[in-house]
Amino acid sequence: MSDLLRAEGIEKAFGATRVLRGVSLSVGTAEVVGLFGPNGAGKTVMANVLSGLIFPDRGRILYDGKEITRLPMDARFRAGLTRTFQIPSPYPALTVMESVLVARLCGDPGRGGKGRSLREDGEEVESVLRRTGLFAQRFWPAAKLSQGCLRRLEFARAISCRPKLVLLDEVFSALSAKDEAELAGLMRSLHEDDGISFLLISHNPLLLAEMCDRAVAIEGGRVVWGGEPADLPAVLPAATGDDTGQ
Amino acid sequence: MHPFAQVILDGLFTGSTYALMAAGLALILGVVKVVNLSHGAFFSLGAYVAYVLSGKGVSNPAAAVLLACVIAFAFGVFLGKSFINPVRSHPFSVAVGSLGFAILFEQAAQMLWGPHPVSIGSGPPWGELSGVVVRRWGAVSLLASAGILGGLALFLSSRWGLPLKLISEEEEIAGSVGIDVEKIRYLTFGFASATAAAAGALLAPATSITPTMGRVPLILSLIVVIASGMENVLAIFLLAVGLGLLSNIGAYLLAPQWSYVSLLTVISLLLLLRPGGLSAADPGRDY
Amino acid sequence: MRNTTGALALGAGMLLLLPLAGLDPFLLDVLTSGFLLASYVGSWDIVGGVAGQISLGHALFFGAATYSCALLTSLAGWPFAAAGGAALLLSTGAAAVVGTMSARLKGPFIALLTLALGELAHEVMIGQTFFSPRGAYSWGGEGGVPVALPWDAPSPWAAYYGALLFLFVSAWGMRRIALSREGLVWTAISGSELTARASGVDVARHKRRAFVAAGLFAGAAGVGFAAYVGRATTTDLSLELSFQAATFAAIGGRGTVVGPVLAALILHTVFRGAGVSPAARVLLYALALLLVLRFFPAGVAGALRQRIRARKMISGGAIR
Repeated sequence: MSDLLRAEGIEKAFGATRVLRGVSLSVGTAEVVGLFGPNGAGKTVMANVLSGLIFPDRGRILYDGKEITRLPMDARFRAGLTRTFQIPSPYPALTVMESVLVARLCGDPGRGGKGRSLREDGEEVESVLRRTGLFAQRFWPAAKLSQGCLRRLEFARAISCRPKLVLLDEVFSALSAKDEAELAGLMRSLHEDDGISFLLISHNPLLLAEMCDRAVAIEGGRVVWGGEPADLPAVLPAATGDDTGQ
Repeated sequence: MHPFAQVILDGLFTGSTYALMAAGLALILGVVKVVNLSHGAFFSLGAYVAYVLSGKGVSNPAAAVLLACVIAFAFGVFLGKSFINPVRSHPFSVAVGSLGFAILFEQAAQMLWGPHPVSIGSGPPWGELSGVVVRRWGAVSLLASAGILGGLALFLSSRWGLPLKLISEEEEIAGSVGIDVEKIRYLTFGFASATAAAAGALLAPATSITPTMGRVPLILSLIVVIASGMENVLAIFLLAVGLGLLSNIGAYLLAPQWSYVSLLTVISLLLLLRPGGLSAADPGRDY
Repeated sequence: MRNTTGALALGAGMLLLLPLAGLDPFLLDVLTSGFLLASYVGSWDIVGGVAGQISLGHALFFGAATYSCALLTSLAGWPFAAAGGAALLLSTGAAAVVGTMSARLKGPFIALLTLALGELAHEVMIGQTFFSPRGAYSWGGEGGVPVALPWDAPSPWAAYYGALLFLFVSAWGMRRIALSREGLVWTAISGSELTARASGVDVARHKRRAFVAAGLFAGAAGVGFAAYVGRATTTDLSLELSFQAATFAAIGGRGTVVGPVLAALILHTVFRGAGVSPAARVLLYALALLLVLRFFPAGVAGALRQRIRARKMISGGAIR
């Protein structure tokens, strides 16, 4: 399987704190990889580096055969590498539909919103909202959504331009059982029907075991384990203890 | 003796007073976590207090500084408590509102004392060193600023300064251990405003007093705080003295207004070179 | 929504008919300058309200236009139309530069940078002296530079209707831009730069565009002002003028364009019409601003819009 995303020896320090100390990982085409680690292991920093929000001090990132180590986040989105945030910050003045429309207008490579009618974009956005279960709330101000719906909106934004790889940062944590099941189902269908790859970041090994093809565990800024996700709860029994995500 | 020596000595005095004001601005940035554009207005307030007092025959700088501090503290606490604290998380409201307060003061001063520069007598010089006059305001300014700054540094490193440090570094912890964060914020705002007013009162004999006179020291303090950060009082002091010297030399060699122009140029360049600015003043979190 | 449009149309009709009711020249002048000021404030709202960039140096674009009109007509002897075109180019270019410079900055630091740049322009113009090519007298400083106009004494009626037409056209144009796709992206950036970047928005580019659009409209207002007043003074570049734009916008409701335009028009007309001195006027504006920011952070039109939104939310989509 060829690698869609490949990070090699990523190092990142904030002041004197070395958060990442040479992390390497890869995600193949149409693969779901889990990134596991306890709180403070550097998962979110890794997601920020992979998505281009921050740049690493050392190491490089390859995506689709090209080096993207210093490509900014918006350009990565347009290239099909998108992410969700653990703490969503919605646009307070826009509705749900408009929020996703922004991504459609700016995030579609090549076309840049030109030569397409607003109706075509609108239909596209509506179909994304139907899939993510936000269609009924499409005229709501994004700021008025519940936590579960905000996660759905993050999801809708991330998949609105047919990405190749989506980084999901703790997207399933602190959700109701219903929301979690629906989002997991959506992820599975996107993976199976559309061939989208996922990097699923979580501190919940049971969830990763259920959803992923492969899993990587980091701790203290280093990769400590990699292998079958089903083994994850067994390999790291200590980690299942502080399962705060449910 | 070259007249340049005089310029340098006066610049030293002026700069030390600006350091006082910059320290106040840094305190607001650290504890209240806002960029305060009303700081210059308190400087002008102090200068006008000194002007009014000297018009009534009181020319003792200590009296002017004390009265200016009291008035500015009261105004600062009021502004901090009733405006800055409630709108703290809205950068627009803070920036435009604090500028609004400054403009409110400028217009009020213009209506009270007229738009034209006024000045007060600077008193007899303290002494002369081989042709260089040591002016009374200058010596008083240097001593008073160094005294207040030293006291502030001592206070911050003492037990009493701990709540301020905690708020500036670990806000959530400060709230959870029972510190009244809001109260400390507006008290800090009042104290910092008082430092600006003290600086204004100290420098009043040396400058022409106009409603908009606070803009130059405001920009200067902003440069100091952006360039030197807000922890190190000594760095603030040295940088403010350096800038005070430079602007005095600039005013001497070119014209007084060019010192403002050069400060504006410096702050623009500084912002371009350090786009991150100060992380504490940025309420939006990225990580 | 229909009510709002109706009220606006009614107001516009009244403004059209007002001079026929026999206004005295003073009120005619107050309204004419009010129209130009209102369209300048609307242009601030493009960048400061819709795109959410705290600009405190907007007078720079206005003053760049008035000064280039004055200098090009009086000193270089250009015809006014050519000078006006050049003025528009200059203020748009200045806006592009300011937009590029502030693209990497955030919130309060954009406020600082724009404030510093505006003050810089103001100070430089105060210090400049220009020598008239014909006489021995000089221009510049606080008194400013005269604009050589193609007409001698403009008819107050023509000026009134010209300025009103300009306000209609520019307000309509700005509203269209605010509601366009580009305006949607600006609103998104204003709401959350982080989410916008994670949606593929090239934030720096769109911020710059917002500045350029705002600078263009501010420049147009400046050209209109130069044509009406016949002089460019340092007031055109002053911090007070920049501050007024932000103030009226905050009072009217940032990001709505119509709100800031109306707030500027009404407050200016009331206070200037009542004969309040400029210093007292700015003082009252500052006071009003502090109260509005403290108690109605969304402004008047913003509060209205929120209520309309809430209604649309219920009628437009079913609540589960």
